[in-house]
Amino acid sequence: MNSADFIALLPLIVPALASVVLLLLITFSRSHAVSVLFTLGSLLLSFLLLFVAGGGTPRRVTPLFIMDAYSLFFIGLLFIAGIVVAVMSSRYLGERSMERGEYYVLLLLATLGASVLAAGSHFASFFAGLEILSVSLYTLIAYRRNDDRGNEAGLKYLILAAASSSFLLFGMALVYAQTGSMDFFQLAEGGRVPDLTVVLSAGLLLITVGVGFKLAVVPFHLWTPDVYEGAPAPVAAFIATSSKGAIFALLMRYFSLMDLQRFPAVWYGIAGIAVASMLIGNLLALRQNNLKRILAYSSIAHMGYLLVAVLAGGTVAKTAVGYYLAAYFATMLGAFGVIAFLSGEEGDAENLEAYRGMAWSRPWTAGVFVAMLLSLAGIPLTAGFIGKFYVVAAGAGAALWIPLIVLVAGSTIGLYYYLRIVAVLYGRVPEGEGGAVTGFPGRVLGMTGGILLTVLTFALLWLGVYPAPLIRILQATVARLVP
Amino acid sequence: MNPMTPGSYMPTEYFPVLITMVIASAVGFGALFVGNLFRLKRAYREKLMAYESGNPPLEEPRYRFNVKFYIIAMLFVVFDVEAVFLYPWAIVYDKIGLYALIEMLLFIVVLVVGYVYAWKKEAFVWD
Repeated sequence: MNSADFIALLPLIVPALASVVLLLLITFSRSHAVSVLFTLGSLLLSFLLLFVAGGGTPRRVTPLFIMDAYSLFFIGLLFIAGIVVAVMSSRYLGERSMERGEYYVLLLLATLGASVLAAGSHFASFFAGLEILSVSLYTLIAYRRNDDRGNEAGLKYLILAAASSSFLLFGMALVYAQTGSMDFFQLAEGGRVPDLTVVLSAGLLLITVGVGFKLAVVPFHLWTPDVYEGAPAPVAAFIATSSKGAIFALLMRYFSLMDLQRFPAVWYGIAGIAVASMLIGNLLALRQNNLKRILAYSSIAHMGYLLVAVLAGGTVAKTAVGYYLAAYFATMLGAFGVIAFLSGEEGDAENLEAYRGMAWSRPWTAGVFVAMLLSLAGIPLTAGFIGKFYVVAAGAGAALWIPLIVLVAGSTIGLYYYLRIVAVLYGRVPEGEGGAVTGFPGRVLGMTGGILLTVLTFALLWLGVYPAPLIRILQATVARLVP
Repeated sequence: MNPMTPGSYMPTEYFPVLITMVIASAVGFGALFVGNLFRLKRAYREKLMAYESGNPPLEEPRYRFNVKFYIIAMLFVVFDVEAVFLYPWAIVYDKIGLYALIEMLLFIVVLVVGYVYAWKKEAFVWD
């Protein structure tokens, strides 16, 4: 490893180092503000270092990592998500009497694990990144120690993630047994994977199980609503965005390098998962009354939409995935942000009925929430619309008619439950004692919440109205992924 | 090193392992099964009791441990794994040289930070 390799890896080294330093810091000073500022500072520094690292790209740093424009874009997205989650958590934890410092250590490590995935080009870094991410999440999910649902969620995720990791590991072993290589680029070399043998297809199937679990696509989605419900709202936001986005970045690199779309069995398998996720995710969300569970099912459906773009393949599809993920990150972080900032000490503000008539007493908060929901539904003028438009364009270019029909049908079903929340927000305020109109009982957003959510809403509208700058960035980064 | 043609590889050289596994489990389960067919079954209270080297069992085998034991167990695993890494490192140290020294120092420093954390957190204090 020479100095150029070192510079290319700096964006990954900084959060790794920061987590160790923060661990040392909290042993001596348990100040919450110091932990938050340190976390934000190191994530911001890592983000800025991406531009330094960008000078030497594309660069292979040991067989484990590839620092190219593609990985830099996704790592940047993950760092921004990490910063947003840290800001969300600062208020969430600040009001609760919990151990606070450890949370930020784990958040830094989880972000590091996700970034390792985005830059991974080898089965070893794939697995190491996945484990750094998962092990941090086990603890983060169960962070509300005195909450029964939190403990249930943590245990559920621990057992299922461990099981899925073993599937993944065995799948990797089989692919290695077949091809003699764990390096994505060596696997991509012509002639190494000429056709789908029994061992190779078994390996790919097992890898699909492991990855499918992390992406929470049907039929590996059963843990999602329970874990989202039990996890603290900022952690749920992290699982919905960073954890899935990183796996998706790696999956797309792996797919396009190995050109797996050319095997009908793989193609139909992914198509089946995509169609099932879009339908079942949306259908199961219809009758939920818990906001976190609705968002969980919604995220299942969104992963289905994204898989349609992966099926399409090609440059347009890569831009579509990049755009969709950026829009999805902003929207999901915003939606969970509203829940996180409105949550009091007695529990997260997740009950839909508690929001009835909120728009009359809190027009701005409700407005932000409505913007997020409309973006999730894919209504024009929001980022979600442009993202979905790109996915449909990519799918139409590859003539994927059946997945596209399901995508449109799924979005229509989705409209119902997103608009149902909007209807509750603008619904009649239940009359209190003596006919007095009661306002929304929950907390106010506060300064941090107000600023963060305003920024996210503006980002959402900006991406929805004027998508050209981001598309230019995507064409210079994600779309240039070596096929 | 790797004479097999990619894409056509079936792990046939492991076939004897499979046969060994089948025969081994057949012998094992077969012995249990045949023994079950012929042996006398005369159970009485003392015979069914848990074997405690002749003493009558004192209590139920499942009772609650103090939660502190789990912390001790966790710390043991963390710092014991360190030793597992140190042995192979010591063996290949000659071949890798300075690079290996820096790597291992980094590893130990991270562990020491964990140790300081556990110490300050009073994980080593029993009461």
